[in-house]
Amino acid sequence: MRSVYKVLAYLIALEVAVQAAAMVFAVAGLGIWITEGNSADEAAFEGMFEGDVTFTGVGGLMVHAINGMMVIPVLALVLLIVSFFAKLPRGIAAAAALLLLVVVQVALGLFGHSNAYFGLLHGANALLLFAGALHAARLASVRTTAAAERTYVDA
Amino acid sequence: MTKARLGVLAACLATTAIVLTLGWAWHTSRMPATYAVTDMGRPDYGGGPRDAGHHGSSAGHAGTSPGRSEVVSVRDLVEARSTPADVTVDLVAAKQRFRLASGRTVDGYTLNGSSPGPLIEARQGDLVEVRVRNESVPDGITLHWHGVDVPNAEDGVAGVTQDAVGEGEEHTYRFVADDAGTYWYHSHQVSHRQVVRGLFGALVVHPTRHSLGEGDVLAVTHQYGGVRTLNGREGDVPVVAPPGRRVRVRVVNTDNAAVHVWSGGDFRVLAVDGTEVTGPTPVQQRYLTLAAGGRADLEVRVPRDGSAARVQVERSTALLVGPRGSSAAPAPRPPGELDLLGYGSRGDLGFDPARADRRFDYRIGRRPGFVAGRPGVWWSINGRLWPDVPMYVVEKGDVVVMRIENGSGEAHPMHLHGHHAVVLSRNGVAASGAPWWVDSLHVRNGETFEVALVADNPGVWMDHCHNLQHARDGLVAHLMYAGVSTPYRVGGEARNEPE
Repeated sequence: MRSVYKVLAYLIALEVAVQAAAMVFAVAGLGIWITEGNSADEAAFEGMFEGDVTFTGVGGLMVHAINGMMVIPVLALVLLIVSFFAKLPRGIAAAAALLLLVVVQVALGLFGHSNAYFGLLHGANALLLFAGALHAARLASVRTTAAAERTYVDA
Repeated sequence: MTKARLGVLAACLATTAIVLTLGWAWHTSRMPATYAVTDMGRPDYGGGPRDAGHHGSSAGHAGTSPGRSEVVSVRDLVEARSTPADVTVDLVAAKQRFRLASGRTVDGYTLNGSSPGPLIEARQGDLVEVRVRNESVPDGITLHWHGVDVPNAEDGVAGVTQDAVGEGEEHTYRFVADDAGTYWYHSHQVSHRQVVRGLFGALVVHPTRHSLGEGDVLAVTHQYGGVRTLNGREGDVPVVAPPGRRVRVRVVNTDNAAVHVWSGGDFRVLAVDGTEVTGPTPVQQRYLTLAAGGRADLEVRVPRDGSAARVQVERSTALLVGPRGSSAAPAPRPPGELDLLGYGSRGDLGFDPARADRRFDYRIGRRPGFVAGRPGVWWSINGRLWPDVPMYVVEKGDVVVMRIENGSGEAHPMHLHGHHAVVLSRNGVAASGAPWWVDSLHVRNGETFEVALVADNPGVWMDHCHNLQHARDGLVAHLMYAGVSTPYRVGGEARNEPE
């Protein structure tokens, strides 16, 4: 269970990195597409999520949406369940905190559709999520005595 | 030891609680392979009388079911079959690579080899008969007459008013074009793909003794693969008209999102969603927001100096109406928006919304959950996810007031089939202009509209978001008349998939 916990936590961290990469990939591609003389109005924007508008990087939008609203929440939830059995000091707390950050992250992302400042927070919260996932993964990596674990946690 | 066991027990219990909760949500969201939309959701009577409780489907012909003598099948809600047609149109639908009028090649769907499909023209009062054959669209097709209040059997919604027309099959639509105006038609089978990729066309119903000509032109806007077009052309699209001529430009928005329309000079809004505006005044330095699926007829006057009048649809396309070879100065989008809530002069609604028989809420939100077994963050109606959405039940003759509230974070173009509704208020501010009749209403995030309609067209009618991707994702409810049932089912052998 300990290693499952570790793998899941690392996966979440990896997914956050994928999310950042996918989004910048899409925004960069969009910029180039516009520079090439295309216009992005609302209908075009909608089409980008459906495969109706194509340019290099457009897939990043779909990846971001599916990862963010389905894959990562599921990973975080499974991590919480695994944490019940992994018997890691503060393992449950770390998993619960991660799930909370994920919920906040999805909400900020969606609020960003009507107010761009939420997008600002969405980007910042992603780093918290990334750090939290790494922290959780390392909880499971420290295979030493309880004393050593405590030292690590306190550090 | 005991403590460790307790720990395991607690872990198991917590896991079970989470898995059961989510599993139950997932399980209840799953849809059977085939179902009737009338069995979906929860009936909402809007404070009006409840019917005998016979909303629901019937396996066979509802009208003949014993004990339900008053139940009418959607199938029987047709125009008189014996009347000869005034306008006859043959259409062939195909899935193919085709060339737009602009020369660009598109992989999509056509009617009679082109997209947009042929313009259908009729005069007010004509009986229109359209025979459509599906030559090569694997998913099947239908044709929905967007904005025309046709009899329910002719509404063209797969799985609700008919079965999808499979490859090699054909279907005939018959309806009387009672109201002059600008409309369009499009597939309502797998519409989120077929309409976006070209399966649509325009329909214009002229008042008697008029036809499309120099003073009356069409501007069908559509994006193919992110490229905006007007009547299949790109950029500035010239239309010939002599100096000084007043021209009616019929703008049809076939996209999934609102478009912005403006002119280099003055314009008037003659009609919205097929209904004439009373007392339209000149609009200066304003743009019009046209809902997805909506239409607006603008009047511009060709300048006398030999230049053209410019009708701009978004930044990328414009109709240039003027003498052959004329041009028009570029026109940036004006800063202000034309508000139809106060445009034109007041007129008679023909009914009294204050004496509503039923009042409904259509609150659009967004929340996490499962739709058809898929996890995600989905559109909700009155707090619940599809298919657990309201079924608005009315009786013929009811005056209905509906409050559409959007707190979902995004705009939604709400489209009611078979009826026109008049806007009473927006965000509590009463309408003060010409009666603003709509069939496609752009509802922005944070807005609340109150609209009213007279239930005068029995049937089972979709009331959905015309951002067709949103409809596919569950932003669909129905308006249903008591005593009407449908023999058609979503899914099943015809593979009906209306959204």
